[in-house]
Amino acid sequence: MVLKEGKNHHTYKVLSIHIEPQLERRLEALGLTEGSLIMILNNGKKGALTARFRGTRFALGKRIADNIEIGEVWTDGKND
Amino acid sequence: MGRTINVGFIGNPNCGKTTLFNAYTGANLKVANWPGVTVEKKEGRTTYEGEEYNLIDLPGIYSLSSYTMEEKVSRECVLSDEVDVIVDVADASSLERNLYLTLQLIELGKPVILALNMMDIVEERGMEIDLHRLPEMLGIPVIPVSARKKTGLSILMHAVAHHHSYGSQGPLIHHHHTGRSVRHKHNHHQEYAMVYQDSIEDKIDLLIERITSTYPDFTNKRWLAIKYLEKDSSVKDFWPMDISDILDRSYEKEIINQKYDFIEEIISETLVNKSTKEERTDRIDRYLTGKYTGLPIFLAIMALVFFLTFFVGDFLKGYFEIALEAFSELAAGAMAALHAGDMITSLVVDGIISGVGGILTFLPNIFILFLALAFLEDSGYMSRVAFVMDDIMSGLGLSGRAFIPLLLGFGCSVPAIMASRALEHRKDRMKTILITPFMSCSARLPIYVLFSSMFFGKYAMAVCYSMYLLGIAVAILTAFILSKIDGSKSEHALLIELPEYKTPNARTIAIYVWEKVKDYLTRAGTIIFLASVIMWILLNFGPTGYVTDISISFGSYIGKFIVPLFRPLGLGYWQIIVALIAGIAAKEVVVSSCGVLFGIQNIATAQGMGTALTALNSIGFGMANAYALMVFCLLYVPCTATIATIHREVGSRKTTALFVLFQLGTAWVVSFLFYQGLSLVL
Repeated sequence: MVLKEGKNHHTYKVLSIHIEPQLERRLEALGLTEGSLIMILNNGKKGALTARFRGTRFALGKRIADNIEIGEVWTDGKND
Repeated sequence: MGRTINVGFIGNPNCGKTTLFNAYTGANLKVANWPGVTVEKKEGRTTYEGEEYNLIDLPGIYSLSSYTMEEKVSRECVLSDEVDVIVDVADASSLERNLYLTLQLIELGKPVILALNMMDIVEERGMEIDLHRLPEMLGIPVIPVSARKKTGLSILMHAVAHHHSYGSQGPLIHHHHTGRSVRHKHNHHQEYAMVYQDSIEDKIDLLIERITSTYPDFTNKRWLAIKYLEKDSSVKDFWPMDISDILDRSYEKEIINQKYDFIEEIISETLVNKSTKEERTDRIDRYLTGKYTGLPIFLAIMALVFFLTFFVGDFLKGYFEIALEAFSELAAGAMAALHAGDMITSLVVDGIISGVGGILTFLPNIFILFLALAFLEDSGYMSRVAFVMDDIMSGLGLSGRAFIPLLLGFGCSVPAIMASRALEHRKDRMKTILITPFMSCSARLPIYVLFSSMFFGKYAMAVCYSMYLLGIAVAILTAFILSKIDGSKSEHALLIELPEYKTPNARTIAIYVWEKVKDYLTRAGTIIFLASVIMWILLNFGPTGYVTDISISFGSYIGKFIVPLFRPLGLGYWQIIVALIAGIAAKEVVVSSCGVLFGIQNIATAQGMGTALTALNSIGFGMANAYALMVFCLLYVPCTATIATIHREVGSRKTTALFVLFQLGTAWVVSFLFYQGLSLVL
């Protein structure tokens, strides 16, 4: 699934990013690397969403949110 | 006393760097632009133990790659002789992300000191940072500070004083265990904080060999090697070298990932009780960025800002007017006592005091507007606005981020246009620059306040507010039409940090507002003063020499020549046209010129307005004309300072001229529509 399909207050693992290299590098420099955890804060709107990764909140536009492949995290049982 | 030591302050956006910088330097700043680009450069001085320090506030950045102008500027500055010691300011409450820049800075090879800011928030959340282990793992001094509470400031300077002489890092006592690598043959852990996987370290070794033979004098070869591995574009241009046999591709991704692996290791070893509970910011954000609540709250906040600006501002303005009237009477009296000639008295009283003073009475409105904007910026709300507006802006082919320059445009178009730099795509930037001047800046406020109070009585405030809404509407419509014309799919992607909400810092706000007020006062003393004098000359001299009847002055001839063009807008009066032309110098000049043009002293006072209203009514200038005038002032050619900024940002005279003509044309059309429409109704 992609980030835009994620649920509020759930934590996911970043599997891959499919976006132009320059933007991908920028996201990685901010800590959104493959395998990192991202928690969705507010995915209520049609377009952009807010999420927290590496301890910081970010607003991510739809184009970014549609192109980040994420997976469920099962290990810590925090997803309730 | 030794030579001055240059200290570069660098850090992520929203890490409290500017607050810390201000704590050392106060308002004694030298603000300029970096050469060639409009990125702000702030410098200030401080002394510690008899030594002089020159502090440089570098732009807030997340990394030292060379993707944005800010990053390039910071990197070049830090690498140059301009910086002797780097103070890396990090937000201790989000250490994980802040450490990325720290690792990059350490790699640069200059003395780095990590200032851990916001330690109070860390404690508040019940977290703890192991301040013994952290410097050990990083190999640099780590000083906890609180910029807001001003603690740790002298210890930080102490560290700067004593650390700057160490050219390079000493050997580190740090053993980190990633579990993936056997010790590399060079055992770099003794020398560097950040050690990469063996396959990358092998490449670094090969590159260092190559660099040693090509650029033997280069001081930090490891840094250069890493940059080659990342295929960093500016490094390749500055220090070209054939490395095709060593590198097959860019290793930037691996380098970033491994840095974050190390950061995770640092965090797990030094951060105790990582907070998990929902924080205050999240609770506030549930409303401020909520699906249904976000937009209404934003509109309510803006309405409050304007209410304060007009209502409280006007209340204070009353006192300024009383003072101005007293002053101009005093001046007239003094001129009479000195037996000054009529001409000089007229220049001082009708020209200068009436022109400059008329502008000064609006200081309370301007002050409150900037105070409100400073609050919005310093509290962390501004970036939420970008998120809230992103859906609407996307429909216009712009990023939500473009809304920030537009919002700042309510203050002043100059910094607003400069703020458009935050947009990555040139097309987005150009569009934003084109529409930003439509946002009603504070200099236009005096025009609305004056004309709406004169003509619209108790509806004055609503009329003023309508100008702001109209400005937004025209900006949005322009952006929409442009996005239809170029048919571009929006390339933009919103990416903006939503910082922790905080109580705005009094000192930061005071410095921000003071800078703007000073700017306004300086303009009143320079451009507006000069414009008032020129206006007075144009209106008091004609082909026949000094004239007392302005209808035969040079000004009137110029105005009358253009009258036919403005008749369809209800602005076919030579006085109004002269005022509008003068307003290109600075928008406030429209007000001061009207005073001079209609021979009214202190036009902004109740008495002055009464006289002006009579004068305007007598030439057939009514409500529809007044509204059309306000609309025209809202949209026409921006002031000279803004035109200069547009030119600097777009880098082309032709484009600048096109932009200005477009704005002039829009002003004409919209004013025409309003005048014709209102004439039917009123």
